[in-house]
Amino acid sequence: MHDLLEIEGISASYGRIQALSEVSLRVPEGAIVALLGSNGAGKSTTLNTVSRLVPITRGSIRFAGEPIQAWPSHKVVSSGILQVPEGREVFREMSVRENLDMGAYRRSDAAGIKRDLERVFDYFPKLRERLRQKAGTLSGGEQQMLLIGRALMAGPRLLLLDEPSLGLSPVLVQQIFAIIQRLNKDGLTILLVEQNAAIALGSSSYAYILENGEMALEGPSETLRRDDSVRRTYLGG
Amino acid sequence: MDLQLALIFLQQGIASGLVSGSIYALLALAIVIIFKTSEVPNFAQGEVFMAAGYVALYLFVFQKLPIWIVLPATLVAAFLAMALFRRIVLDQVAKSAKDLVYLVIATLGLSYVLKGLVRRTGFGDTPRSFPALVPTDSVMIGQASVTILDLTILGAALAVMAAFFWMFNYTKMGRAMRAVGMNPKAAQLVGVDLKRCHMTIWGMSGVISAIAALLIAPKILMTADMGSIVMLAFAAAIVGGFSSLPGAIVGGFIIGIVENMVGLFISSRAIVLAPFLAILIVLVIRPQGLFGGKLTIKKV
Ligand SMILES: Nc1ncnc2c1ncn2[C@@H]1O[C@H](COP(=O)(O)OP(=O)(O)OP(=O)(O)O)[C@@H](O)[C@H]1O
Ligand SMILES: [Mg+2]
Repeated sequence: MHDLLEIEGISASYGRIQALSEVSLRVPEGAIVALLGSNGAGKSTTLNTVSRLVPITRGSIRFAGEPIQAWPSHKVVSSGILQVPEGREVFREMSVRENLDMGAYRRSDAAGIKRDLERVFDYFPKLRERLRQKAGTLSGGEQQMLLIGRALMAGPRLLLLDEPSLGLSPVLVQQIFAIIQRLNKDGLTILLVEQNAAIALGSSSYAYILENGEMALEGPSETLRRDDSVRRTYLGG
Repeated sequence: MDLQLALIFLQQGIASGLVSGSIYALLALAIVIIFKTSEVPNFAQGEVFMAAGYVALYLFVFQKLPIWIVLPATLVAAFLAMALFRRIVLDQVAKSAKDLVYLVIATLGLSYVLKGLVRRTGFGDTPRSFPALVPTDSVMIGQASVTILDLTILGAALAVMAAFFWMFNYTKMGRAMRAVGMNPKAAQLVGVDLKRCHMTIWGMSGVISAIAALLIAPKILMTADMGSIVMLAFAAAIVGGFSSLPGAIVGGFIIGIVENMVGLFISSRAIVLAPFLAILIVLVIRPQGLFGGKLTIKKV
């Protein structure tokens, strides 16, 4: 299968802090690829370079074969790359409905938007009951669902998920990951950033491990799960 | 003072206060929409108001252009000036300096530039008046005397406010602007073009200021210093909570009414103290302003 996203030798820095150096990564169409690493390894930075919120100083990023590293962020969204950011970045003062509408900001196909809204309710029935509630008053799990729903409203081809398990109860983590699997079965390609290596390796086909802004290890998730050093460092023995 | 006179003063104070208050409310609205999205108090708002007044004066009185050209031309000029300032100057400043204080200083710079430009043209040397486009005949409302011009000012200001409320709440563009105010990163992640959004908001803020100038110009003597009225708009914004659009408008009317009441009941020399009095009272009763959200410590 061909690669939907190809990141090649990218570097990025915040002022004098080098956050990424020569990172390469590929996401084949239709796959779930995991990007692991401890706090501050550069996972979110990698996603933000793809979303064009953080500029790269070298290397290239291709989406469906096209170089996108010079695009403005809104063009990245239009082309179908949607990031689900870490840390509950909802529009707090807006209703759930308005948040979902904002997800479709770059679209104008009313029929398609309506169909995707139904699809979001299908994945997250809870959101339908909360349409008028202010997003800031939702529980952590509901906000995570809203974030994924908002991204789905854009009609994405590639989802960049940043730590969807963060701060959720084990039951909710199971639920969210079941939905991630379903989204993937329904045709969505996913780049999944996680600190929870066990669950990420369990639900992806291929994985990369970042350490201090550099790619330390990569391989099929199944292989990494049995790798001794990975087990010691990321799977707790 | 007997009761009869007090009642007349009360009515007159409210009527006149609503008229001057509508101008403060418009300018406060212009300040708050920028503050909510750029987190910068635009200290040039008064000078944008002043310069727009002079553009209209120049086109109408000196170039003798018809009013249906003067009005849109003034609004377009105000929109472009503010939008380009945001795009060219502020984006450049923001690129080299991370601290918001430099953006604030840049707005102070703009205020000096605009004042300087108007002074250079010489139009600002002598106070001038803008001809009224509607009759200035008085009518009585209750026991208050107001002019047709006053009623036009109030009516037009309310219409402009209503239009902006509709825009912010019921259009895609307005919703995107609110989204940028709440969470710029999330707004970018759903595809909002941040630069364009900021430009549009600054442009709109210029248009609102220009409308305020066009409305009040026939009632005042225009000078290059007329922008100092913006202090009252800042007071209105503070009374309203500084990040609330309804707050800015209610604050504007409160400042206008308090100012007129102080003038009528106390002394016209005490008028300058009125806005501070209003701020003091409101902040003592409600430190977050009338429409400000709950005071919370920002979590990191
Ligand atoms: N806006 C920023 N300004 C300065 N430095 C930053 C910024 N964002 C991230 N960094 C730094 O870049 C490095 C990588 O951060 P990044 O957020 O990509 O890590 P991460 O792998 O996502 O970590 P976590 O698992 O904690 O989310 C860290 O050292 C971090 O301190
Ligand atoms: Mg992160």
